[in-house]
Amino acid sequence: MDVQLSVNQDQHPITVDTRETLLDTLREQLDLTGAKKGCDHGQCGACTVLVDGRRVKSCLALTVTMDDREITTVEGLADGDTPHPLQAGFIEHDAFQCGYCTPGQLCSSVGMLAEFAAGWPSVVTPDVSAAPHLDEGEIRERMSGNLCRCGAYVNIVAAIGQAGR
Amino acid sequence: MSKAMSMDFLRPMTWAEALAAKAADPEARPILGGTDVMVELNFDRSRPSALLDLTAIPELAEWELRDGVVRLGAGVPYSRIITELGDLLPGLAIASRTVGSPQIRNRATVGGNLGSASPAGDAHPALLAAGAEVEVESVRGVRIIAVDEFFLGPKRSALQPGELIRAIGIPVTGGPQQFSKIGTRNAMVIAVCSFGIALHPAQRRVGTGIGSAAPTPLRAHAAEEFLGAELDWDGPLDRAVANRFGELVAAAASPIDDVRGTAAYRRHALSVLARRTLTWSWEEYRCV
Amino acid sequence: MTTVDMRYTGSALDRVEGLEKVTGRARYAFENFPADLVYAVPVQAAIARGEIRAVDVDAVLEHPGVIAAIWYGNAPRLVPSDNADLAVFQSRRVAYRGQYIAVVVAETYEEAKEAARLLRVEYAAEDHDVRLRADHPNMYRPEKVNPNYPTDTEHGDPDTALTVAPVLVDATYSTPAEHNNPMEPHATVAEWDGDALTLYDSTQGASGVRDTVAPLFGVPPANVRVISPHVGGGFGSKGGPSPYVIIAALAARHVGRPVKLAVTRQQMFAVTGYRTPTIQRVRLGANADGRLTAIVHDAFEQSSTITEFAEQTTTPTRIMYAAPHRRTTHRLVRLDVPTPSWMRAPGECPGMFALESAMDELAIACQIDPVELRIRNEPDADPESGLPFSSRNLVACLREGARRFGWADRDPAPGVRRRDRLLIGTGVAASTYPVYRRPSQATAQAHRDGRFTVRIAAADIGTGARTVLTQIAADTLRTSPDQVLVEIGDSALPAASLAGGSMGTASWGTAVVRACEALVEGLDRRDGDLPAAGMESSADTTEEIGAQRRLSRHAFGAQFAEVGVDTDTGETRVLRLLGVFAAGRIINPKTARSQFIGGMTMGLSMALFEESIMDLEFGDYLNRDLAQYHVAACADVRDIEALWVEEDDPHLNPMGTKGIGEIGIVGTAAAVANAVHHATGVRIRDLPIRLDKLMR
Repeated sequence: MDVQLSVNQDQHPITVDTRETLLDTLREQLDLTGAKKGCDHGQCGACTVLVDGRRVKSCLALTVTMDDREITTVEGLADGDTPHPLQAGFIEHDAFQCGYCTPGQLCSSVGMLAEFAAGWPSVVTPDVSAAPHLDEGEIRERMSGNLCRCGAYVNIVAAIGQAGR
Repeated sequence: MSKAMSMDFLRPMTWAEALAAKAADPEARPILGGTDVMVELNFDRSRPSALLDLTAIPELAEWELRDGVVRLGAGVPYSRIITELGDLLPGLAIASRTVGSPQIRNRATVGGNLGSASPAGDAHPALLAAGAEVEVESVRGVRIIAVDEFFLGPKRSALQPGELIRAIGIPVTGGPQQFSKIGTRNAMVIAVCSFGIALHPAQRRVGTGIGSAAPTPLRAHAAEEFLGAELDWDGPLDRAVANRFGELVAAAASPIDDVRGTAAYRRHALSVLARRTLTWSWEEYRCV
Repeated sequence: MTTVDMRYTGSALDRVEGLEKVTGRARYAFENFPADLVYAVPVQAAIARGEIRAVDVDAVLEHPGVIAAIWYGNAPRLVPSDNADLAVFQSRRVAYRGQYIAVVVAETYEEAKEAARLLRVEYAAEDHDVRLRADHPNMYRPEKVNPNYPTDTEHGDPDTALTVAPVLVDATYSTPAEHNNPMEPHATVAEWDGDALTLYDSTQGASGVRDTVAPLFGVPPANVRVISPHVGGGFGSKGGPSPYVIIAALAARHVGRPVKLAVTRQQMFAVTGYRTPTIQRVRLGANADGRLTAIVHDAFEQSSTITEFAEQTTTPTRIMYAAPHRRTTHRLVRLDVPTPSWMRAPGECPGMFALESAMDELAIACQIDPVELRIRNEPDADPESGLPFSSRNLVACLREGARRFGWADRDPAPGVRRRDRLLIGTGVAASTYPVYRRPSQATAQAHRDGRFTVRIAAADIGTGARTVLTQIAADTLRTSPDQVLVEIGDSALPAASLAGGSMGTASWGTAVVRACEALVEGLDRRDGDLPAAGMESSADTTEEIGAQRRLSRHAFGAQFAEVGVDTDTGETRVLRLLGVFAAGRIINPKTARSQFIGGMTMGLSMALFEESIMDLEFGDYLNRDLAQYHVAACADVRDIEALWVEEDDPHLNPMGTKGIGEIGIVGTAAAVANAVHHATGVRIRDLPIRLDKLMR
């Protein structure tokens, strides 16, 4: 099937297998290998990208359903040569080791901060009628869709906490 | 590319087109957020002849309140239930906040999870407790199925060939609702067991829903009847009543031992969850 | 022994490849695209033991895009070696369920995957035996345990000493099979050019993969190049080539085109190694004052029928505590299971869960504070070899940890501290890991613009190796890190030992220091006058390491945990973890802290969640994905801190370092289990500490 993929504001007219996931299309066809494959079933979060600004697991999205959407991957977070504040924060706080979950953590945290700014409550929000407060507990809960086997969670939470303030 | 290897991809733009497509190929697998279907595909668990992408049909992504019932389009993702329906459907909203991970909640839908009929679906106990109904449709017409008659077995539902889930009708009870689940991990857990409760003060009735503790999500009928008879709706909650309620909820389950916990533990934990959620709901009810 | 001057070593340099990693530019193995590439999807055995009768290759060749299907019946023969796991498609025999028995190659990944799913395989199945038990009739005594330790040791008369000991702890502990699960699944891109093979592989050791793969294909090692600049974690599972590497190379040669092969997360549960389950009996005899008179530690483990991997589970017991009478043993049984292998601190990690749980039980039996009990049993020298310790600061770690954690005035009574619905408890455990160092080579090159390039086939699997080698080189070269480029992750570079055994910095750092020293010496001789082509020096540390003095070299640490256990449901949350380590000099406090905390996080995960469950009926691990094999998620990890005590040990290496990659996981699970006992009064001797075990 022919689809028009818009990724990081670039248009890609491509032909895809109907079985192809957005993750495989990004990595194998568009050479955008920032989004990572860690489990193929939405449990690790390494493939997280933003679709119309919302964080989504690209291993669970079929490419053929994406032709009218705006996709942002980790390659599209920086502003030219200036890293996104979260990217800089991840380096400063050593919020990664092997780096394989990192693109997903970063896209997820960008999406998470947007959800937070929109006032979305989480399961640990004490009062859902009030604006949530971005404390460590909220960050931990809201970042739990992204596994990190190196165990960088405490540094990830610190980096996001700093960028979110 | 031969038909045997590939998979057709159908993207109807209207509900009528979707029903026609499903009638033409009853094996076509409807897909909304994709969070269940894609796992099956990626893990080679199923290879449907066609995928029926329902995401372009506008009305599936809408909800409306009419006559005290929220008609929730099958394609409304959990993140919108959390942000838009917390007041009207508190039990479902609480449960929605624990579904999968945040990324999953941005895509997954009640309609899609009902379609997969997983015993561990987090929304299901809340739907059971609230007394929801599933609106299904085919070219033959519309059927309304009470949600406690919808689940027939693990991953088996009352959907008939050619039928698609159009919406879920969920009564607004006006009373407190709670949902709680137990998992080994603190987040992103498949529940060891879960429980939903809804007070229906106008009817002086309590609704229940049990998850992950039987081949299907189910109501604890005896526990509901017991509370219907024993609850003093004008007084504080009797501890003995709460305890007995917990026992009856546990007795309603038929759990098994598996990698997430033993059957005995599940029964015990269910009684704890039932007692706790009833207590929380009662505190809220008495405060209002 | 010369030591590195400290200017940049010891400073908190950001990871030198940090920007590449946060922008998605860092390329991992599968992210390489040679021209004309094809995809390979391997097929796993559906039986646990037996023979493959036939594979219907012709049927899948009919499918669009399919180029080849390879199995024993049509596979090229490899050169025989003593590694049976790597002899892929060389036999009809099936040794375990999930073993790779065939591979399908196709133009696209989707086509290969579909054809692999449809490939019909006919088996002659035989009864399988996959259940580890200590009384298995086929238990035997392996000749040595990993990597080269004596299987058993005995000193004095432990049996008599136990009989007469005033206080006796005799308990059996068990740890489940656990899977490494690095975030990057194993993957290889294989490309042949005549008799030369290039592998883009996800590996902990490029030189080792080259040396192992080349002879299987009958080519000299120089013909094989292994490239792996970035590796998405390994934790031991990428220590040597696994069967998938051989399959990729074999398939690429068979079809005459470059092949990409990615192991799926589910396949990793059978084909890339795991931590053996263990059953361990620990007996401690002590006087009433807690002083140990006898220590006996017996371990029972499994391996596959085709490869003997005997984990060194009881080796830490040989060095931890003083006692005149002692014995350690290992017994192994060969089952129809996948081959176990290294997983972060193999041996020390499960072994110290048992020993340090038993020490907690002894502290309670003697009514002695568990910190004090350990201090009381501190040995003057290695208790079995008698060798002096190069340095040993366990006591300092325990004291500093106790002070920081707020251990003083701890009420030892179990099950009495409540906070809302939670029962609260605290626990302590000791930690240790040996100091290894292996020969490596390195070169250092000076350029005319004042910059330097240092080359070594080291691997950075997330450890920070690239960064600390840059710091070490900068100090030795008397320059700053931004003037030094360290090239690693390529077998074309000077040969190096693997990233394992917490020996990377010690092994590679020694070679880097020696190469840089030689370069500095050469530059000094020429008074800094560089030829146009620059100047290069090299080093090989084989001799230096072979000549090092015999000493007992180990890192030590103390782990403190606070837990809250829900009184009604048994849900356990680790509220606080503190680790204090004595691991020689710390080259980079930022990356070191991350590694310690990372190890402790994995230890927390081991304590509460991780468990690969053997399906006795089918003979494979049941929960083979990340939805069912739980690892700690962000919400599980609250307050973890790691500190270290300064150690100045001149007997290690030019940097004065001990390894830090593994010690963080050692002892964590015991500290958590000891805290759970303190909270609830329930002693969990079989990991993980699942909620239903607390409510029985």
